[in-house]
Amino acid sequence: MPNPVIQAHHINKRFGSLQAVDDLSFEVSPNTCFGFLGPNGAGKTSTMKMIYARSKRDDGGTIDIFGHDPNTEELAIKYFCGVVPQEDNLDEELNVIQNLRLFARFYDMDAKKADSRIDELLGFLELGEKRTALIRELSGGMKRRLVIARALLNEPKLLILDEPTTGLDPQVRHLIWDKLRQLKRAGTTMLLTTHYMEEAFQLCDTILIMHKGRNIMQGTPKELLAEHIEDYVLELTDPGKIDEVVQSALLADVRVDESGQIVRFYADDIDSLKAVADAIQDSQYYLRQSNLEDVFLKATGRTLNDRQ
Amino acid sequence: MTDNKQQLYPPLYKRLFSVWYRHARVYRQHIFSNAFPPFFEPLIFLVGVGLGLGRYIEPIDGRPYVQFLAIGLLITSSMWTAFFECTFGTFIRMEFQKTYDGMLAAPITANNLIVGEMLWAGSKGFFFSFAVLFMLTLVSLVAPDTMPMLPMPNVLIAPLIGFANALMFGAMALLITSFVKTINHFNFFMTGVISPMFFFSGVVFPVRELPRLIQPVAEFVPLTHSVRIIRCICDNNLTCNLLWDVLYIIIFTTVIGTLATKRLKKRLIK
Repeated sequence: MPNPVIQAHHINKRFGSLQAVDDLSFEVSPNTCFGFLGPNGAGKTSTMKMIYARSKRDDGGTIDIFGHDPNTEELAIKYFCGVVPQEDNLDEELNVIQNLRLFARFYDMDAKKADSRIDELLGFLELGEKRTALIRELSGGMKRRLVIARALLNEPKLLILDEPTTGLDPQVRHLIWDKLRQLKRAGTTMLLTTHYMEEAFQLCDTILIMHKGRNIMQGTPKELLAEHIEDYVLELTDPGKIDEVVQSALLADVRVDESGQIVRFYADDIDSLKAVADAIQDSQYYLRQSNLEDVFLKATGRTLNDRQ
Repeated sequence: MTDNKQQLYPPLYKRLFSVWYRHARVYRQHIFSNAFPPFFEPLIFLVGVGLGLGRYIEPIDGRPYVQFLAIGLLITSSMWTAFFECTFGTFIRMEFQKTYDGMLAAPITANNLIVGEMLWAGSKGFFFSFAVLFMLTLVSLVAPDTMPMLPMPNVLIAPLIGFANALMFGAMALLITSFVKTINHFNFFMTGVISPMFFFSGVVFPVRELPRLIQPVAEFVPLTHSVRIIRCICDNNLTCNLLWDVLYIIIFTTVIGTLATKRLKKRLIK
């Protein structure tokens, strides 16, 4: 295991009476993608902001980003970080290439170098034909890719992505995932927040599930699945016959989780779920492999909390 | 400093310049619509006051009224633009367009951003004062009856005073912005602070004509001082004591600017 490039120990962030981040610790290895997964209000964005010095952590904890502390070395960190914020914030008055040129100035890049980097990035993110398009003419997916291109201008060592594909269609999402994997292979370390389980599964080497500001579990996607959830799920959307099934002896090695109008049966052995399915054959059911979403919902609860 | 911690990010002056440049670049994108007001408004003024109202008013301090008012307008144009830029403009960039979220992800600190904002307001003040001066001078060359030539070369200092005045009003506007929660609140300040200042700071008529009780109030507000400076310079009046006015502008800008920076920084870096 190489030395971690990001180390956060016991960090806290409080806004008034709300403990947004609560004694959070984690370490990130170089050239990996580290994902924060959690419901809205879990403290993911607050954590990211403390890392790139957009927010000051409360006294007590420590953060080390490639040898720098964001509380005291803001500029050094911002210079080698690229940030893709949750909301697009491009200059609507300018076109694609003008937006990128303007941003390159913040890094004091010389114009020639900036232009060649911009060409390279527009090609990489498949925006080459949109060079002179106005921002309002771009689709949501194009704006998102442009924001990613902007974050990559200064060849960041660390790329911070706050919900990079929220609200995008599947094609664009897959394209962005593909590009991010290429960047990781090329040596970029990434921090990602998302509430898409599939995104976390596709991109992250390590996932930290946050809930109410706390680290509630952490591991590789496979570890989380293996350690925290049964292999298979049977979902039943018509709870009419549940009482008969629940009382039956079929449920010896099956875990039952009732919430709202859906009942879920979890088991490592698909045959025991098949037996349950047979018993309720005329009802609507769905038998599938368990996924990160099941882990996530088990960990963070199925009902909404006051921060969502 | 050790080798692996050498400073790679741009130095302070370049960071400030890049913030300033961002605003200038976006302003330039629509230069015709943006530059229309400072070039066109003086013409409206000349028709209204030069051809109309001014003919009914006695000269003030030996100047035809149209010229007296014109000297004041060189400065108020910079006040209006700086105030708009750092109230509505700043608020929109901060809350609606999320421009600052983008800039603060680059190697720019919140302080750099806010000071850059003030410098941009100052530059716009310079430009607006220049535009008004340019148009009035142009008309004087063509139609000296409507607009008597402004006192040359003294009046050429107007854009510089416009810069300092806009810096001061930019700082004040940023301080107001730091308190404002919704964009509608700016209306209070526009009508309650800026409009009265326009009328009672020696622009439209001399401060000495105000009731004795109110005169100290005029002394207290910023615009009075910038206007007094330009009038003294235009009058070639060596007996004026401008030290108080210059000091006022420097102290006001520094104190209010520092306060505004501190408060806005808290709003940006939570």
